Amino acid sequence: MKQPFKMRKPVLIKLKRASIKGEMVLFQPIWVRIFHWGFAASLTVILLTGLELHKPANFLILNYGKVLTAHLVFGWFALGFVALRIADALIQRDNSLIPKIHDLKRLPKLMAYYFFLRPAPPPSRKYNSGQLLIYFSWFLLFLVASLLGLVSYWQGKHLIWLWHLVGGFQVLRWIKFTITIYFLATIPVHIYLSSTEDISRLQAMVTGYERKPPNNS
Amino acid sequence: MLSRRDFLKLVIKGAIMGNFCELIAPSLAQSVVAGEVKKLPVVMIETGTCTGDSISLDNIWTPTFSDILSNIVDWRYDWSMMQTQGASAYKVLQETYEKMPNEYILIVQGSMIQRDNGHYNHVVFDNGKLITGLELVRRMGLKAKYVVAIGSCATFGGPVAGYPNPTQATGVQNILPERRVINVSGCPAHPDWIMGTLLHLALYGEPELEKFGRPKLFYAETVHNRCPRRRDYDQGIFATDIGQKQCLFRVGCKGPVTYADCPIRRWNDHLNWPIGCNTPCIGCTEPGYPDLMSPFTAHLPDIPFPGGTKVSTDAIGLGVLGLTSVALVGHAATALYNGRLQKNLLKASVKAPNRPSVKKVKTIHQYKLKKNMK
Repeated sequence: MKQPFKMRKPVLIKLKRASIKGEMVLFQPIWVRIFHWGFAASLTVILLTGLELHKPANFLILNYGKVLTAHLVFGWFALGFVALRIADALIQRDNSLIPKIHDLKRLPKLMAYYFFLRPAPPPSRKYNSGQLLIYFSWFLLFLVASLLGLVSYWQGKHLIWLWHLVGGFQVLRWIKFTITIYFLATIPVHIYLSSTEDISRLQAMVTGYERKPPNNS
Repeated sequence: MLSRRDFLKLVIKGAIMGNFCELIAPSLAQSVVAGEVKKLPVVMIETGTCTGDSISLDNIWTPTFSDILSNIVDWRYDWSMMQTQGASAYKVLQETYEKMPNEYILIVQGSMIQRDNGHYNHVVFDNGKLITGLELVRRMGLKAKYVVAIGSCATFGGPVAGYPNPTQATGVQNILPERRVINVSGCPAHPDWIMGTLLHLALYGEPELEKFGRPKLFYAETVHNRCPRRRDYDQGIFATDIGQKQCLFRVGCKGPVTYADCPIRRWNDHLNWPIGCNTPCIGCTEPGYPDLMSPFTAHLPDIPFPGGTKVSTDAIGLGVLGLTSVALVGHAATALYNGRLQKNLLKASVKAPNRPSVKKVKTIHQYKLKKNMK
């Protein structure tokens, strides 16, 4: 017969504490994850098709009617995902993506960290000041680009005030190209930092959960 | 008299057949003879221009421009076409201004030179005083029944207003904000566009205008939408050089951003048009031409930098992307070198700081009493 194994209580407590690898917390709710990956996929198609429509690549022989259709369809998808995220933020009262003054005040310290002048980043809310600036600018610029996309789609039949404001089709095209370059320059920064700074955040964008370190009490 | 609906049909039919003026002229001349339509008093003022629109208008065929002048309109003042000159010519203009207020049509050809109150562009000599184009157009425009700006220069400034625009040239609408100016743009404007607009004004009043004040009769669709090579574009068949017979989009054709009916109306008596000659559309009817449309072989305009240097938009875009790549690679290398990368990756796997190891230090034996000992 197996003998019962007894352990002293202090040792047991210590062992239990050691086996806990951090508390599991919900960091990215399901709607945020759906938005993130849906928007990322749609934006990738929009940017690639947009570049192809702007300057057809020599090595590709594509049906341009279909490229334009893909550009438009994924534009609507991306707008849908943005609408979903806005609705979720309103329902959950989530203002984590809106930069505030005190966030911006921490930007110099954050930049000092990125330029290896500080050992650690300054404390932040859910997203740091750099993330907030980039995410918020993406949000605004995507809406501007979508509006300009609609203007060019309707070819001056609707949104005539915007046509006048912009100054014509060629200026509109130039603004959309500039926004595309901004996205293409900042998306790699986002991917690089999210995969090298805190990879558990990247994991949270897939699973939703992140482990918090246990309190050393 | 011709109904407006029939007139619009003739505009399209004339574009396709290439004989718009020939179709419209007989019925209009009959109406003029019958007294149904009054001969239209027209004055043409040329300001900062190359007179290209007059030359273009002179290319109407058939009827010829002289037929139009003698039978259809009362072409009163036009210094390129008048036989008289000097004071006697100016007298005609003054008479029109004084005796026909709100009756005449003012056609302006050329941009409005604004620098130094327009003194780089004198257009008439009035009692020993030089009158600027700016002043004359404003004076005549305020009393005209309709104001029509023809050509790129008069409509949006055109080449005269090109960078760096030393004369501060602009379009007529900007110096006549009180009036709605009918813009017939183009470099030059097609004779059918000019004459068709004038005839619509004579017969039915102001035509329906689009977003930049151009008659929808002629500027409702983009060149791209009506281009005979549109199927090449849709299938991704592109010319790689000017002179080839495929879609010229890749060599900078501005058809997708240009509103005009050139593909169906064509030029020089329906003979040909730029894309028919395998050269790209240069977008001459659009605001911002030529700065926004040049270089003509690239989609987007070059960006001017201080000092007069111009850099292509594509080069700027590639430069930004190149800089981003270099910055990221540099950052990654530095982070790897000073250990930040390793530290961040290890930090992300959360574990207890000191995992205790357990070893058996004492064995507690439990003894049970034997039954026979009870």
